[in-house]
Amino acid sequence: MTFQHKMAAHCESGTVAALLNHAGLSISEPLVFGISAGIFFGYFESKKFPFPTFVVRNRPGQIRTGVARRTGVRFKERRFRNPEKGERVLDDLLSGGKPVACQTDFFYMKYLPDHVRVHINVHFITVVEKRGDVYVVSDCYSPNLAELDRESLMKARFAGGSFSPRGFIFHPVSIPRRIDYRTAIWKGIASAAFNMVRLPIPFIGVKGIRLFAKKVVDWPSLARDIDHLSHEIMKINIFLEDQGTGGAGFRFMYATFLREASELLNDPDLLEMSKRIMEIGDRWREISLFAARIGKRRDLGPDRLGELSAMIYERADAEERFFNDLLKLSKSKK
Amino acid sequence: MKEKDASVDYKEHQLILYVEKKDGTYGPVKTGSYITKNFIDDFWYKRKKLEHEYLEKVRKGEISPIAYYMVLGELTPSELAARVRLGARKVKKHLTARYFGTITLDQLKRYCDVFNVSPVDMLQVIVTDKKNLKIIEEKTDNPFFTILKISTGKK
Repeated sequence: MTFQHKMAAHCESGTVAALLNHAGLSISEPLVFGISAGIFFGYFESKKFPFPTFVVRNRPGQIRTGVARRTGVRFKERRFRNPEKGERVLDDLLSGGKPVACQTDFFYMKYLPDHVRVHINVHFITVVEKRGDVYVVSDCYSPNLAELDRESLMKARFAGGSFSPRGFIFHPVSIPRRIDYRTAIWKGIASAAFNMVRLPIPFIGVKGIRLFAKKVVDWPSLARDIDHLSHEIMKINIFLEDQGTGGAGFRFMYATFLREASELLNDPDLLEMSKRIMEIGDRWREISLFAARIGKRRDLGPDRLGELSAMIYERADAEERFFNDLLKLSKSKK
Repeated sequence: MKEKDASVDYKEHQLILYVEKKDGTYGPVKTGSYITKNFIDDFWYKRKKLEHEYLEKVRKGEISPIAYYMVLGELTPSELAARVRLGARKVKKHLTARYFGTITLDQLKRYCDVFNVSPVDMLQVIVTDKKNLKIIEEKTDNPFFTILKISTGKK
């Protein structure tokens, strides 16, 4: 069967959804994302990052493992110490007509625009075919199937550093005849809501959003100069909108998941919650547009950053209310 | 977000956004990147300025070319060390012009793989005032040897 390439908002949820659809399970990207409790917030300052950063999704790999655990789908997964063996196994699977997902360093995806390609080891693509020394790749961020030379794919699969892929590949091997979507959806919701409001870690969930709001006013002291600060502030927009989130830091995709879940389970409460998170997402989008504009104008004095901080604090309050209500709802539906 | 608010006409960088459609349902739409369309010039301005600034530091002997590529690649010494599989202390030394000379060819190749440049790019930059020049670096089977082809493009 020919692999149907389709763009998706996010590389991991899009890759998992595409492989499952190819294997015969009709499932949307938002459903994959929601069941795996993909929605998240974390604010990080680490030696591994040149500047403070934040993430708006769960840990890389958890979308696949979360879906597998809650739906009963089974994936064959492999990592390799030896790159030659990793290449051989991939080639063998492809010659058997099996599309295979690979974890890669985004930097080597040459078919994407230069300005978006950064070193990050958690980009997922589906390799569909090998033609000579070139691989045919289905990347959720590319409008069409793309070609990637062997050397680039090998570098991307075996890059070192944080979240080093070590040649990681996976593909589905079994799909259950019947999936208990009710349980899978509610478990996914409960887990996401718990991560957002109950985890006792100061930089995770709603606490992480508040930490971001508190720290963003200190960013000028960490920047080399005004252009560097502008770059980092404008990256807020990229992290929320452009870096494979479906808009507003995955909040719009989560709204779509809750809406789809409400139809699947015939549950009007979920419909109401989907409208609420869509509105929350709209305000996140205002933040990202505001960040882009003040960054471009270099209007980054204490007043403007204070304004940005206040907007982020407001999102923390709204998400605290939302995820507390969602957690209560998930408990009441058990 | 309403579908009409998501629409950005920019073919060069397409992405998927989830929106509220005209019929009230939620779903994906393919659109252009707002930030790329509106702010890409600013991005390249900052990038060129950074390149120039750090190239001057290399020229003055304040930093090594490794530090130059590390900053442009938005990596930290600790992340770079993990990527080239060398100790962080050694990498920090390699960032200085003084210790750059002590690097082995094998270590240099590891850095080059991370930055996706050839070994020769670590030792020189090509500057020209000629327009329409086409410069292609051709790889060979020898990982330490490349062929630089310079030709004049058609006007």
